[in-house]
Amino acid sequence: MKKRLIATAIVAAMLIGTVLSASGCSSSASSDGKTHITMLQYKPEAVDAFEAMEKEFNATHDDIVLTIESPNDAMTVLKTRLIKENAPDIIGIGGDVNFSNFLDAEILSDISDFEGLSLIKQAYLDIDKNLEFVPTDGVYAVPYVANAAGVLYNREMFQKNGWKIPTTWQEFMDLCNTIEASGQQSLYFGFKDVWTCLAPWNALACDLAPADVCRQVNKGETKFADEYQEVAEKMLELLDHAQNDPFAYSYNDACTAFANGEAAMYCIGSYAVPQIQSVNPDMDIDSFVMPGCDSEADNILNSGVDLQFCVMNDCENKEAAYEVLNFMLEDSTIQTYLDNQNAVPCKDTEFKLSPALDGMLSYINEGRMVDYQDHYYPSEMSVDAQIQTFLLDGSVDKFLNKFDTDWVRYNRDIIRKVQEYEAKGGNE
Amino acid sequence: MNKKLSRNQTFMLITIPVLALFFCFNTLPLIKGLIYSFTNFKGFGSYDWVGLRNYADLFTDGRVGKSYLFTFKFAIVATILTNVIALLLALGLNGKIRAKSALRGVYFVPRILGGLVVGYIFGYIFTYILPAITGGSSMLSDTNTAWLAIVIVAAWQSIAQTTLIYISGLQTVPEDVYEAGAIDGATGWKSFKELTFPLIIPFFSINMVLSMKDFLMVFDQIMALTKGGPAQSTESISYLIYNNGMGGGQFGFQSANAVIFFIVIVAISVAQLNFTGKKEEQL
Amino acid sequence: MKQKNKVAATTNWPLTILLILGCLTVIFPLYMAIVIAFKKPSEMTNDIAGALSLPKSWSLENFAEAMRVTDFWHSLGYSVMITVITVVLAILLHSLAGYAIGRSMAKSKFYKFSYLYIVSGMFVPFAILMMPLVKQTAQMGVDNWVGVILCYLVFYMPMNVMLYTGYLKNIPIALEEAAFVDGATTWSTYWKVIFPIMSPMHATVAVLTALGTWNDVMTPLVIMSGTGANTLPLAQLTFQTQFGTNYNLAFASYLLALLPILIFYLVCQKQIINGVVNGAVK
Repeated sequence: MKKRLIATAIVAAMLIGTVLSASGCSSSASSDGKTHITMLQYKPEAVDAFEAMEKEFNATHDDIVLTIESPNDAMTVLKTRLIKENAPDIIGIGGDVNFSNFLDAEILSDISDFEGLSLIKQAYLDIDKNLEFVPTDGVYAVPYVANAAGVLYNREMFQKNGWKIPTTWQEFMDLCNTIEASGQQSLYFGFKDVWTCLAPWNALACDLAPADVCRQVNKGETKFADEYQEVAEKMLELLDHAQNDPFAYSYNDACTAFANGEAAMYCIGSYAVPQIQSVNPDMDIDSFVMPGCDSEADNILNSGVDLQFCVMNDCENKEAAYEVLNFMLEDSTIQTYLDNQNAVPCKDTEFKLSPALDGMLSYINEGRMVDYQDHYYPSEMSVDAQIQTFLLDGSVDKFLNKFDTDWVRYNRDIIRKVQEYEAKGGNE
Repeated sequence: MNKKLSRNQTFMLITIPVLALFFCFNTLPLIKGLIYSFTNFKGFGSYDWVGLRNYADLFTDGRVGKSYLFTFKFAIVATILTNVIALLLALGLNGKIRAKSALRGVYFVPRILGGLVVGYIFGYIFTYILPAITGGSSMLSDTNTAWLAIVIVAAWQSIAQTTLIYISGLQTVPEDVYEAGAIDGATGWKSFKELTFPLIIPFFSINMVLSMKDFLMVFDQIMALTKGGPAQSTESISYLIYNNGMGGGQFGFQSANAVIFFIVIVAISVAQLNFTGKKEEQL
Repeated sequence: MKQKNKVAATTNWPLTILLILGCLTVIFPLYMAIVIAFKKPSEMTNDIAGALSLPKSWSLENFAEAMRVTDFWHSLGYSVMITVITVVLAILLHSLAGYAIGRSMAKSKFYKFSYLYIVSGMFVPFAILMMPLVKQTAQMGVDNWVGVILCYLVFYMPMNVMLYTGYLKNIPIALEEAAFVDGATTWSTYWKVIFPIMSPMHATVAVLTALGTWNDVMTPLVIMSGTGANTLPLAQLTFQTQFGTNYNLAFASYLLALLPILIFYLVCQKQIINGVVNGAVK
């Protein structure tokens, strides 16, 4: 009796399950004979620009229907879509470690036959190439727009006081001292939000460490303790010029303080400009490249790909995807994006850029730039938090030794792959 | 089945489908997660089997060890603080007071406010307002005090729920218990200790388990207030599991962390329930 | 009876005043939230006045803008639908489960095990369930609001079963036995006798479950991804982008989202108090 009862109950439960699954609305496949392309891009703040692009594309293309999704927390959404095997055809993501991981997981499609790649600045193609854990023969992303980091400054304050843009580390430190001697705050940091520790770190590392330091370490050729020594020491020097207790203030606090003229300079990227101008819309912001070196000629701009498009392996109609990418690379489409967002286009054509980038323009035009170092760091290693720990603690050696040990621990599988690749002879 | 079902059969008919549903949406995914803990899965794409490597790593990972220490220190202090205040508050709000509904409403608000609001407001209080009053520096920028700041905010938020459960527990205490007690001369603390508290022990144990669980799994307040800082001193276990597992590429490793964490909390809670269960039986 | 009324009439004033003073711990942060919700980003400064001073004008512009950005009515609709269905099903299902298990666990190993099995489910970190659940709901074709509700029914089951069984401990079994003598089945006794008696607990469960589902971001985010539907907390993620947060709009939006659930709580709160009366009358 008891057994029959249990059986009945289980059947009942299964029935409920079936009914529920049937009631779920499934997305029906299109039967209009057109090719459907879905794009998922990770910048919800640019949703207006992408809606305009989507409209324009569909109005000019009869055979392809483009849908652009700009969900919040898009990286989580994208990962769940992959799990659901409901991946979009094209993804718009940042040129960071996520891209490296996607590439490593073999879910991106080789697009080296896409003609539009020839329109892109070589520096940005190189930056994307460097993000591959193990060098590949293919190309997997179209860099679309970039951002740049260094030092933002309050142009009005600089003009009023007659301060000059520093081009060497010595000049930079002297300037900070001059500003402080006049009773004003030179630098402001929002180190409570750990990720902001990476902004000066990356900018200094561009100047002072080899661009491919992470790959060199993976190959076993060098150690961070050697390459990052000077970066770490100069981070501590910067900290001397910070406001009181910089670890108590968040990114938002720092943006607000800078916007209200509480500090003359702010070591952060061009991406912070909208947040700053939301507090003070009339503020005249300009930027300069982090002068980490002793000679101007050695300084390099810190710039990375902020948005790039990748075609997924599961994309059924690559031709149509290329058509979409071609459309995205048209000057007018890029202009739509630039009008909406503050960014540096990766296409090798002259566009009008935000005045906040004036001080970096010559570097951008010359292609004198390298990627953010943290784009090579695995996010679970939390290098940003380690930098914060180091700044609180002040011991360079302790920090860099831990960096080296942790690096091996968090990149074990990648190091193995890299070394297998090297053992096979590599291609260098 | 035209015959009347016996009491036991009815219970069976209720329990089996419930257990089936629970199995389907809790145990089954847990088993799949357990399987991932033996891989180097990143959360997407291809992966390899790594055997027990993740578990071996777990026991040698200083960061995980530190997160356990922080989480337990935090959870114990917050659980005690929350339950003491909530019990007092519940007794007060259940007393003979004016504006009962409004007061109960106000004390419930913290539980509804979203993490972004709580994080910003308390961030402001700790960064600007408290230092201005005390003349010291922000609690959130000092590794010795940041965890206390999180305790305060977490307790502030969860007292609402704990109080609500105590209040509904107090409803099961019949009025005549007090009257009988009053005749025996039991008032105040004595009446609480000897009459009220024994009757709400089931709710005390529920609250201890619920708040212990909530605090052991603390995540929102950390994201809102410190994001694990300063100097990685407030990284909770859930913070690591979520940020490095979902957000980072350590899905497999953090699955192993989650499995161990699950076993630890179950052990603690079963011990807690057994302990309070024995107390209940004694009465 | 007379005496009882007299007792109820005397207000404990010191306690009332103490509790009102205690409210400051809530009212002060709430005041900050309200003031910030009315301000413009340009009115925010890094000092005490930045958060405490009154806004220059009490314009509802932020609220209107927040409603536009989050597609308020649409998102609200989804949130309300998911919350209401979850709460109703939770009360029906979890109270039954709590009853069956709670009444039998003292005598039977199977129910004792079932109780511990369900309660232990509470301690499974969501992060480990997330990816498998996403896959499972997609395979079952419920990667939409239906799946979200199913997940909630399971997530809140441990807490609710605990609460119901705890409450039942204080409800004498004699109440049911009286009904049995009249020849009623367990099933009908439950609905006629036990279910109504548990109404304070229903109200508690309703509040706690509603709160959890109302504020939850992760479950709808991962389960409903790709359906284009948004709940309110999902829509509110819009205010936090990678490099900037619009706190003023966000606060306005959060205050708007707070109101329905606060009202729901106050309604349920009445039920909890009414429950006492019912219990006393029995």
